[in-house]
Amino acid sequence: MDTLNYLGQGFGVALTPYNLVTALTGTLIGTVVGLLPGLGPINGVALLIPIAFALGLPPESALILLAAVYLGCEYGGRISSILLNIPGEASTVMTTLDGYPMARQGLAGVALSLSAWSSFIGAFIATCGMVLFAPLLAKWAIAFGPAEYFVLMVFAIVCLGGMAGDRPLKTFIAALIGLFLSSVGIDANSGVYRFTGDSVHLADGIQFVVLVLGLFSVSEILLMLEKTHRGQEAVQATGRMMFNFKEAASVFVVNLRCGVLGFIMGVLPGAGATLASAVAYMTEKRIAGASGTFGQGDKRGLAAPETAIGGAACGALVPMLTLGVPGSGTTAVMIGALSLYNITPGPLLFQQQPDIVWGLIASLFVANIMLVILNIPMIRVFTRILAVPNWALVPVIAIITGIGVYAVHATTFDLFLMTGIGIFGYILRKLDFPLSPVLLGFILGGLMEQNLRRALSISNGALEILWSSPITFGCWILTAIMLVMLLLRIWRRRAAQRRAVADV
Amino acid sequence: MLTLQRIFAAVLLLVCIGLALMAWPYQAAFSYEPVGPRAFPLLMLGLMGLALLYMVFRPVPIVHSEDEPQLDRETLQKIGICVVLLRVFAGTFEPLGFILSSILIGVPMARLYGGRWVPSVVIICLMAIGLYLLFDKLMDVPLPLGLLDVLEN
Repeated sequence: MDTLNYLGQGFGVALTPYNLVTALTGTLIGTVVGLLPGLGPINGVALLIPIAFALGLPPESALILLAAVYLGCEYGGRISSILLNIPGEASTVMTTLDGYPMARQGLAGVALSLSAWSSFIGAFIATCGMVLFAPLLAKWAIAFGPAEYFVLMVFAIVCLGGMAGDRPLKTFIAALIGLFLSSVGIDANSGVYRFTGDSVHLADGIQFVVLVLGLFSVSEILLMLEKTHRGQEAVQATGRMMFNFKEAASVFVVNLRCGVLGFIMGVLPGAGATLASAVAYMTEKRIAGASGTFGQGDKRGLAAPETAIGGAACGALVPMLTLGVPGSGTTAVMIGALSLYNITPGPLLFQQQPDIVWGLIASLFVANIMLVILNIPMIRVFTRILAVPNWALVPVIAIITGIGVYAVHATTFDLFLMTGIGIFGYILRKLDFPLSPVLLGFILGGLMEQNLRRALSISNGALEILWSSPITFGCWILTAIMLVMLLLRIWRRRAAQRRAVADV
Repeated sequence: MLTLQRIFAAVLLLVCIGLALMAWPYQAAFSYEPVGPRAFPLLMLGLMGLALLYMVFRPVPIVHSEDEPQLDRETLQKIGICVVLLRVFAGTFEPLGFILSSILIGVPMARLYGGRWVPSVVIICLMAIGLYLLFDKLMDVPLPLGLLDVLEN
């Protein structure tokens, strides 16, 4: 019952007029940012961190703003996938499969509102799951010492590679780059300057916002140069804007199933929204069998990935809030934001600052409802934004990115660093490296090193501490299983390829 | 593309070795813990080195999506110009001030993405001033005025 009390308290925080306005502003900004090509949830949230700080928002409002922007971005990405058939980001690829055909059939408004509704149900289920499990996990996590944390993070990174699918090696390399980059700067324990090359600006380490904006915004700007021509026209959203009861009822079971699936996938480190939406779509397609018109505008095909994304987005907050270990790129950004406010997420957060945790959870509800409501009057405005040509958009994105970077430390060194990181990010992207593991590695790196050193200080240098307790041992076993599964999958694919070659 | 990947992996491997050499002398002047400042970076560089070594010998072909055009000389040139513009932006941000430097790089960038002269100039100028007012005046993010400092007083 305690948790219900806390949740009520959270709604008290989220429903104050100030925070409601914050959430509304956040969803609006987020939707526009998500709509624009080249800006996604990760850089949208990262851009707002220094600004929220400069505005002097109290921590819970800042967090609500970021969460609202995040949800808004996801929603904005949906608009461009449904109306333009261009997925705003990896997780919305599945949405285009049935959303765009629906829009072509004149059901654009229905598709948009139904997707918002599905996402709301997904988030609702995940939030219920979070209310149930997060306090339990937080209680359990208090037993975690530095050694356990270190092993847990190793597990998270191996998971990231294991779940990433077709390119585990590149995912590992990307994560290792991030882990390494986190060690640049002055070492807090010994005062040794590491990899700074005698530059004063690097003594503080690479700023998180600079890394994010360089990797994601600048590389995207360069990538967009390749596609100056865009043949697709946005489908006009006319006619009925809202789905009716029958349509909602027809996908309700799908919503429930995919919401639970999304939540579980979201909690697992490394899986995240992209995988959740793909698995949800495939599962529903199989369940529907011959009766489905998947790929030609089936409502279930639209509802399944959207519910899963909504569930996974909220599920990903569970490991972040309870353990302080982010499981996805966006939660990594949120940890970066929290650390600016000197808040360390982890088991103690639930006891020490329940206002922040439960206020955030409650504001996720509020922001989701706002998105469903906003959809109806604003959709025409949003579709007009889609018509802004790239030549007007890209310079503005570049300039705003510059402002975001400059706002952190007010040095132009960061701007140069951002350009450099951007070029590196562009090369990585061209060579098919995933970028969000770099980010995750960067956030986990500092924590991992600290915990490793603390653990070995406790044991006075004896390595046994890393596997002697039951929790650490269990984590190692899970890590080993993950690696074996990964190797098995690679081996099977190799065998299949060889067979294919032999058949030809 | 395979050779490109090999070259990239090899270069990154060399960078790793260089950084590892750089990290080798990192030692705490005065140590009270068993793990020093160089262990973690060296561990990461070592693992990365192993992975890169594997990539040099067994690169995985990249699966391209259909809508991705091949890189040609013209696009590469454009990317080069764009990078230079971003560098110029970084260099002139403080001396020229936010408004002038964003106009200076914004207009050529808009041209690069296919805008025509007049609309580019008009929109970028308006945007630069608008963004300055929005961020500096409304949102309290201090931006340098640079050469336009005289206008302030």
